[in-house]
Amino acid sequence: MNSIVSIRDVVKEYELGTTVVQALRGVNLDVQKGEFLSIAGPSGSGKTTLLNLIGCVDTATRGVVQVAGRDTARLTERELTDLRLNTIGFIFQSFNLVAVLNVFQNVEFPLLLQRKLGAKARKERVMSLLEQVGLHTHARHRPSELSGGQRQRVAVARALVTEPLLVLADEPTANLDSETGNQIIDLMKELNVKKGTTFIFSTHDHKVMQHANAVIRLADGKVLARESAKDAVAHALSLGEAPTAEARA
Amino acid sequence: MTIFDPMLWLIAIRSLFQHRVRTSLLGAAIAVVTALLVSLAGIYVGMKTTLLVSATTLMSGHVNVAGFYKSTASSSAPVVTQYQKLRDIVQRDVKDLDYVVQRGRGWAKLISDSGSMQVGIGGIDIVNEPGFVKVVQLKSGSLEGLKRPDGLLLFEEQARKLDVKVGDRLTFSAPTFKGTNNTIDVTVVAIAANIGMLSSWNTYMSDQGLRQLYQLNDETTGALQIYIKDLSKVRAVQELLRKSFAAEGFELLDNDPRPFFAKFDGVNRESWTGQKLDITNWEDETSFVQWFVTILTVAATTVIFVLTVIIGVGIMNVMWISIRERTREIGTLRAVGMQRRSVLAMFVTEGFLLGLMGTTAGVVVGGVLSVVLNNAAIKLPKGAQLVLMSEKLIVAPTAGWIVFAVLFITGVITLISLIPSFLAARLKPISAMSHVG
Repeated sequence: MNSIVSIRDVVKEYELGTTVVQALRGVNLDVQKGEFLSIAGPSGSGKTTLLNLIGCVDTATRGVVQVAGRDTARLTERELTDLRLNTIGFIFQSFNLVAVLNVFQNVEFPLLLQRKLGAKARKERVMSLLEQVGLHTHARHRPSELSGGQRQRVAVARALVTEPLLVLADEPTANLDSETGNQIIDLMKELNVKKGTTFIFSTHDHKVMQHANAVIRLADGKVLARESAKDAVAHALSLGEAPTAEARA
Repeated sequence: MTIFDPMLWLIAIRSLFQHRVRTSLLGAAIAVVTALLVSLAGIYVGMKTTLLVSATTLMSGHVNVAGFYKSTASSSAPVVTQYQKLRDIVQRDVKDLDYVVQRGRGWAKLISDSGSMQVGIGGIDIVNEPGFVKVVQLKSGSLEGLKRPDGLLLFEEQARKLDVKVGDRLTFSAPTFKGTNNTIDVTVVAIAANIGMLSSWNTYMSDQGLRQLYQLNDETTGALQIYIKDLSKVRAVQELLRKSFAAEGFELLDNDPRPFFAKFDGVNRESWTGQKLDITNWEDETSFVQWFVTILTVAATTVIFVLTVIIGVGIMNVMWISIRERTREIGTLRAVGMQRRSVLAMFVTEGFLLGLMGTTAGVVVGGVLSVVLNNAAIKLPKGAQLVLMSEKLIVAPTAGWIVFAVLFITGVITLISLIPSFLAARLKPISAMSHVG
């Protein structure tokens, strides 16, 4: 079995006072190892909720979420944390770097949590990744001394430093200009190709989703379709979005 | 990730530095409490030391062999007979002995040309009392004069009341232990600086002179004052002597931790006659002033407790604010794989560091304050002088108290920081990451 994520009949409900809001309504999804998958949909469609369930930072109200072959509902808090540490990498929309640590320390942090590598091996791993994301000369800089694009590249390096099977990115380009956003997506794609790491990223920007192998289209908490990037972009454009020069090409 | 992990310390140090205004204010508050604790401890230690040195030199040994002699069932004299034999036993059995002196005790009327007063008399053998010479600060005259049988040492306060100076003649009038009244003439050979309570009611004369006044033989004295090298062995020495004297056939009173003058009534009500020994220690003999030390200790402890609670509440609030500000960071760290206990350790480390920095600054301030107060030689109020046996405020914090202050306050702050840290560690990653504010 090559599936790294398997989701069956997942429902996620939130209680807002006396009202129950369904964020996901019976979602089924399989993600294969090595995929570069985009989850697309408008705001409120359930993209972030779905990523949170896959990322084991939230639990489903009903249904089964399996990550790396493990049913997340059956895991303890401690086991879920270990699964996140060793199997999943996170890239957040607003970077979420630790402000008081420099670039090197931010990237090194998950390795320290893992306690698997010695200081020398950690340094080599971190510097190698920083070189790949083009920030090896900024290792001693604090996040506040970096641009948005540089910060997101640090976040990418942090997500990849433990060599996870799966990287989740929630709107990774939303806070970046289009050029920097493209650079980040290119970087993720490059790492996906080189290392075979599975990437799942959410976006509602067709310029970003066109880089994906496949696109899961969500609306109102349901999977509407699993389609190619080309079809997904075409669908987005049919909804009235102006095509970019890049999309037309 | 444990509390010993350098990365946690780095995050804690940098977080404290990043919020340096808040850290400084809170650190300063902790420093103030610590400085107060160190200073109060210094005053307490100074008081106890002064009391110990003064009391154990002038009115008590570390351990005393005293007692009562009753010629009839209802009359007692605070004397011990066969003191030389007792001294031999002490010197034979007390391994930790520094030195032992015999001291006569009496209570008499001292009459000058212009007035009179009731005073206690200590009969001393000045040649064999090395501690006495060190403690008494002479204002006029010489302690050499106490080698004369009629030599008398007064304190400034007494000399002022009796309107006498060195060289003046006075008369002691006292009932002897045989029931008759006796008088002797004495000469003021030295006037010493006041030493608290003693200055108001105690005088010193030669042992020989006291024997003449009370018509005591050479085998009788008021008490043997025993000085040992290690004060922690006081009670062991007491117990040892009780056994040694009992084995040699001496009768002993039951242990009664009060000064000798408080025991007359009880002794006179008992039916026995002859000699019974009473083994006391310096705390027993000065227990009538210990209440002041106890009150001061309770007051100081209360002040420290209240201040610690106030600072504790402040620390907890600041930790709350810090955790609120860093909720998203906590969520991120939890999301990338930080276990709850590591989040707990991270914030506890921050609380510990804040406490350690504040208390370290506090002991420095407290130390400097102690030196300043000592150099200022602040004169104590009369009431305090009376019981503390010192005219000046003495602040002497010890290394033990300084270490205690650092450990105690840092410990309290660390413990207090556990509560918000624990709640931070309990946050769900999803809730923490979506926190707004």
